[in-house]
Amino acid sequence: MAQDKEPIVFGGSIPLSGVFAFAGVHLHAGLTDYTSWINSQGGINGHPVKYVMEDTGYEVDRSVAAFKKITGSNTVPVYYGDSTGFMKTIASELNSRGTTLMSGASFATALTDNEQYPYQFIPGPNYSQMFGIILEYIASQGEGGEKPTVAFVYSDTEFGKDPIENGKEKAAELGIDVVEEIVTKPGSVDVSAEVLKLRRVRPDYVVFHGYVLSPINEFMVQMRQMGLDTQFMGTFWSSDKLIINKMGEDADGYMGVMPYNYYDSQESGPMLDALRAQAEKSDPEAGYRPTGYMQGWFNAMVWTEVVKRTLDAGKELNAKNMAESLSSIKDWDTGGIIGVPVTAKNMSFPVGRIWRVNAKEGRYEPVSDWIQLD
Amino acid sequence: MDWLFFGEISLAGLAMGGLYALIALGFVIIYKATRVINFAIGEIMMFAAYLFLAFAGGLEMSPWVALPLAVLGGSILGGVIEKVMIRPMLGESPISVVMVTIGIASILVGLVELLWGADPQLLPRFLPREPVFIGEMYLAPKIAYGFLIGAALLILYLLYFRFSRGGVALRATASDQAAAYSMGINVRRVFNLAWVFGSLAASLAGVLVAATGGLSPQFGAIGLSVLVVVIVGGLDSILGALIAGVFIGWLETVAGAYLGGEYRMPATFAVLAVILVIRPYGLFGTHEIERV
Repeated sequence: MAQDKEPIVFGGSIPLSGVFAFAGVHLHAGLTDYTSWINSQGGINGHPVKYVMEDTGYEVDRSVAAFKKITGSNTVPVYYGDSTGFMKTIASELNSRGTTLMSGASFATALTDNEQYPYQFIPGPNYSQMFGIILEYIASQGEGGEKPTVAFVYSDTEFGKDPIENGKEKAAELGIDVVEEIVTKPGSVDVSAEVLKLRRVRPDYVVFHGYVLSPINEFMVQMRQMGLDTQFMGTFWSSDKLIINKMGEDADGYMGVMPYNYYDSQESGPMLDALRAQAEKSDPEAGYRPTGYMQGWFNAMVWTEVVKRTLDAGKELNAKNMAESLSSIKDWDTGGIIGVPVTAKNMSFPVGRIWRVNAKEGRYEPVSDWIQLD
Repeated sequence: MDWLFFGEISLAGLAMGGLYALIALGFVIIYKATRVINFAIGEIMMFAAYLFLAFAGGLEMSPWVALPLAVLGGSILGGVIEKVMIRPMLGESPISVVMVTIGIASILVGLVELLWGADPQLLPRFLPREPVFIGEMYLAPKIAYGFLIGAALLILYLLYFRFSRGGVALRATASDQAAAYSMGINVRRVFNLAWVFGSLAASLAGVLVAATGGLSPQFGAIGLSVLVVVIVGGLDSILGALIAGVFIGWLETVAGAYLGGEYRMPATFAVLAVILVIRPYGLFGTHEIERV
């Protein structure tokens, strides 16, 4: 549907190659499909939407160059950042320009510091909030007044370390004993020594963070070989179907925190149905769409809502006004993308649900209600 | 002190070190014969591991057929690289040749992304899964069997270099190229053979390490971390690669277990720094090595 009004540009530094390409191609598909869908719905208040992106290879300098190129030749109210590194690097320029609101692939806790990053938001819970949701679930699993014990396993990266201190505080608050902390090299080759450490403390739960797949599989397999009945959990980027596809039956019982409904879940809603229909239309052969796709789509949904609220209020589309519009989101119905109405708090949406792998069915199934943090 | 724990940790570290030694061997054989530091060794490992994935996963071959095929593929790749890209560089400065190997590494990463995509991968299971106990000490089965397979290849290599004509030619070329020429040794063929053998060791290590830690287009980075092993052992010393590989594997694991995972790399780099100060040519290397 063509419109006469000026297009609203969704900009993006997108990692179609490099270490994050496995997710980048899907979040790109989510952003592309949402753009097609919103245009088929008449755009935003009659403005067509144009999605302009560059491949960054997940390299900060290339992301910055893409940002400058795209914002240099377009008026870009909202922009997708591909990494925490880029979003931190570009923050001062974003603050001084005051033209653009940014979100992206990062769920970094630091980005919800509104003093330093007033024009960046997280399209879901940040990593600390994900740990909060996980720990609230774990606390609810205790029996007879006993709280389960937990171990944190994380990569020796900024990504991996992000929620650990806040996670320890939250655990203490809930009365959960963190019995071990394991730090591994990123791209770790062997974790058998770390597994031996966990064997000695026998945690009820192990929470992984800062990985996509390996070494989660090795921890699970080796600890089960030792006869331990520990349960395993992970955060957003390690809670996709990739785990099931690659691990097969070994993935059974693995749990993840997820702010969105899975593409193949039994949940529904008008927006979730629209997403599935658009995905089917754009690539009928693709089948299941990963969580990166859901994240890309939800990002664009929030941008649309923010732009719409700002235009409806008769305000200019600048970063300050859009940040205020974001903060005004309260009990927003996402049409089934998230199963409960959501409220923006400190530039994030601290809500999620625990899902468990049913390896036989080849999918995640919900094992908790939606958990919203205060 | 929990000696059982120390023993278990040490075993795990020594076994992992055995795989480091195998990768280091890939560096050393090529350097020893040709004086080229092959920065693409990690990517050759990666390529062989992806070949294994294709044969055992995609084509559903028995892993025990796929393994030799993948290792063969990796070693052929090494031979082709030497013939097509390294040989034309003969006589150029060592830095130029090193830059070519870095370029080859990038090409291989791109090729793998094109052929297999960017998703992280796990190799089909092929090593036994029953826990291995040595006395009361537990050893992860993948590491234990990986070590045994790697050690078998190491022994074969040592025997080959010691007793075969090809091995003698390789050693002769390594010690004095001009003399080797004058004695009728086909030095060009020896160069090619060194790349094939070096890549073969790396390819086997690639499949074994990927079977333990997973595979992705970034897997080749491990090749660079093994460079520490090679420098500590001595760039042109096979014995050095073996000893340093096992030692660095053990040290990394023990440091990680007792100090925390973030101390693994600092521990090995501390050793590297000390070695570079005391013996810049490595523990077992020859003195005249020109470092890059």
